[in-house]
Amino acid sequence: MAHTRRFLPALAGMAIAVLLSTGAQADRAARDAQDAAAARMVDTATFKQDGPYRIGVSAGYMSNSWVVFALQHIRWEASQHDEVSEVIVTDAAFNPAKQVSDIEDLLRQDIDLLLYWPVDDAAIADVLQRAVAAGVPTINTGGGFADGPGTVANAYISQWSLGEDVARRLMKDLGGKGRIIAMLPIAGTTAAVDQLDALNTVLAEYPEVELLTAEYGDWNRAKAKQITENLLQRYPRIDGVFSPAGQMSIGVAEAFDEAGRLDEVTMSPGDEYNGWLKWVAEHKQGGAVPFPTRAGQVAVQIGLKILKGEPVPRGTAVTATFISPETVGEYVEMDAPDDWWASKLPPKFLPPR
Amino acid sequence: MTGPAASPALRARLDRLLAANAIFVALLLVWLVGAAGSEAFVTPGYLFNVVRQIAPVGIAAIGVTYVMILGGVDLSIGAVISLTAVFCAVQMDGDAANTLPAILLTCLVGTAIGAVNGALIAWSRVTPFILTLGMAVAVYGLTQIYSGGTARGTVAPGFRDLANTRLEGLVPVLAIVFLALAGIGLAIQKMTTFGRQLFLIGSNRQAAILAGLPVRRTTVIAYALAGLFGALGGIALLARSGVSSTSAGQGLEFQVLAAIVLGGTTFEGGRGGIAGTVAGVLVLVMAFNLVNIVGLDYHLQLVVMGAIIILASALYGQLQARTGRA
Repeated sequence: MAHTRRFLPALAGMAIAVLLSTGAQADRAARDAQDAAAARMVDTATFKQDGPYRIGVSAGYMSNSWVVFALQHIRWEASQHDEVSEVIVTDAAFNPAKQVSDIEDLLRQDIDLLLYWPVDDAAIADVLQRAVAAGVPTINTGGGFADGPGTVANAYISQWSLGEDVARRLMKDLGGKGRIIAMLPIAGTTAAVDQLDALNTVLAEYPEVELLTAEYGDWNRAKAKQITENLLQRYPRIDGVFSPAGQMSIGVAEAFDEAGRLDEVTMSPGDEYNGWLKWVAEHKQGGAVPFPTRAGQVAVQIGLKILKGEPVPRGTAVTATFISPETVGEYVEMDAPDDWWASKLPPKFLPPR
Repeated sequence: MTGPAASPALRARLDRLLAANAIFVALLLVWLVGAAGSEAFVTPGYLFNVVRQIAPVGIAAIGVTYVMILGGVDLSIGAVISLTAVFCAVQMDGDAANTLPAILLTCLVGTAIGAVNGALIAWSRVTPFILTLGMAVAVYGLTQIYSGGTARGTVAPGFRDLANTRLEGLVPVLAIVFLALAGIGLAIQKMTTFGRQLFLIGSNRQAAILAGLPVRRTTVIAYALAGLFGALGGIALLARSGVSSTSAGQGLEFQVLAAIVLGGTTFEGGRGGIAGTVAGVLVLVMAFNLVNIVGLDYHLQLVVMGAIIILASALYGQLQARTGRA
C-alpha cells in the first residue's frame, strides 16, 4: 500500500508533466504558426482607390478607458491625413448582433476602410467577409491576431508576449526564487489564458520559483483587492506578484499595504494605466510593460497604405518600450485620474477629465 | 405532568424563534464552516475586513430591501452605483474641500434617479422589473456620456485614507459606516409609519389602496431611498478601492438581490427586512472568502460558492417551514 501511495502521485506527476510539456509545445507551435501568418504580405491591389476616404470604426464596446484612448488615436491619426474626409464610429456595447448591424450600416454609408474590435469574432465573421468582398479592407484593431478571411490586416498586441515580458522582469527582480501569486483577467479570455501560459513557460526555467495560485480579478480593482486580502490570510509569505494589468495591480498592492506586508513583496510590471504608474512613481518598483493604446493609430496607418495599394504584412505587432521605475516620471500624470492611459495624444484629442 | 405538557410548547416557541432567525442560523453555520477551514475566520481583524469588503453591496442592499418588501424590485442599482462612484470622484476633483459637497450632491443624484423610478412605477402600469431594467440601461448610457468612457475625476486626498482607517487598529471606518447605515435602515423599517406601510402594501396592494394607505407616496419614497442607498454604495465603492472604471457597479445588482432574497425578503413582497439582508450579505461574502481562502481552484470555487448559497437558502426555507412561515 505504501508503495502504491507513493507510486500513484509519482505517476500522476509524470502524467501532468507530460501533459504540460505537450501543451507548451503545442502553444509554441501555435505561436510560431501565428508569427508566420502575421509575416505574410497582403495583396492590396484589389483595395487600391483614390481618396477622399471615409473610415468606419465598429467598436465592440466603448465603456473602457483603454478603448477610448485607442479610438482617440484613430481620430488623431486620421486628422493628420488630408485624404481622410470622415471617421464614423459605432458602438455595439458588447452586443454581437448589434455589431453585425453596425457594420452593415457602415457599409451602407459607403465607407472605404473598416477598423473594428470585436465582441465576438465568430458573430461578425460573415459580415466582415461581405465587407472585403465589397472592396472594403478590414483591420482588426488592438486585440489579438485574427486570421479569418474577413480580416485583411491586424494591428495586434500579443497577450502572450506581454505576459512573457512581465514574467521575465518579475523573475529578474525576484532573483530567480520565491513564492508568487498571479492576478489574471476574466477566466477563459484569451488574455487570461495567454498570460498564464506565458508565465508557466517562463516558470519552467526557474525551478526555485513557486506559483502558489493563479486568481482571476476580472480587470476589477475592487475584486483584485478582495481576492488578495484572502490570499494574505492563506499564505504567510508571498514574495512576488505577477499582474500584467495595472488596474488590478493597484488593488493587489493596496491589499498588501493595508495588511502591513508591502515590504515583503515584489510587484511585477503592470501596464501604462495611469493609476498604476502613480503607484510605480511613489514606490519606485514594478514598472510597466505597455499595452499601447496607439494600436488605433497604427491601424489607420496600415489602412491608408492598403487603400493606396502599398504592401502591408497581415499582422503588425504594436509594441512599446518598457517603462522602468526610473523613467516613469516621463509617462505618469499625477494630476490626471487613475483611469487614464499614458500616451502622446495632443491635448485636443485627449478624452475629457 | 408539567414536563410533558410544557415540552411541546417549549419546542413550538423554540421553532418560532429559530424560524424568525433562520438566516442568522445559516450565517452562524457558514461562519462555523469557515472557522473549521481557516483560522482567519476567528480573527477579529479579518472579520471586520470582511464587513468592509462587502460594504458597497451591503449599503446598496438596504434601500433595495424596502422596494422588495413593497413587492417591487430595483435592477438599476448596479448602474446607480457605477454612475455615482464616477460622479462623486469628478465632484471631488482631487480637493479635500470638495469632499462633503461632493458626497451630498452624489446622494442627491442617486435619490433623484430612485424617485424617478418610484414615480414612474406609481403612476404608470409598467412593471418594476421592466422599468428599472430600462432605467439601468439609461443610467448606464448617461454614465458613458458624462464620463466620455473613462472614469473621470480624482478622489479627494484623505477621503479614502479616512474610510480605510482602522479604529483602535482593528475596525475599519467603512465597516462602521455600513453597520451604522444598516442600523438607520432598520430603525426606518421598525420605527416609522413608512416602514409599517411598506409591509401592509407589500402584503396586499389592493387592500392597502382600499384602506386608503398612501400607496403612491410610499412607492416613491421606497425607490428614492433605494437610489439614496445606491449612491451611498457608490461612494463606499469609491472609498474602498477608488474608481477605476465606468462600470464598476455592473453586476452588483445580482449580488444585492441574492443577498436580499437570502435574507428572507421575497419577490412577492410583504415580508423580510433589513436585519435579514445584512445577514444575507454576510453569508454571501463569507461564502466567497471561504472558497478563496481555503485555496480551491477558481472554477471549483464557483461550484462550491453556489452550493453554499443554495444550502443556506434551503436551510433557511426548512427552518421557516417548520413553523409554517414559509
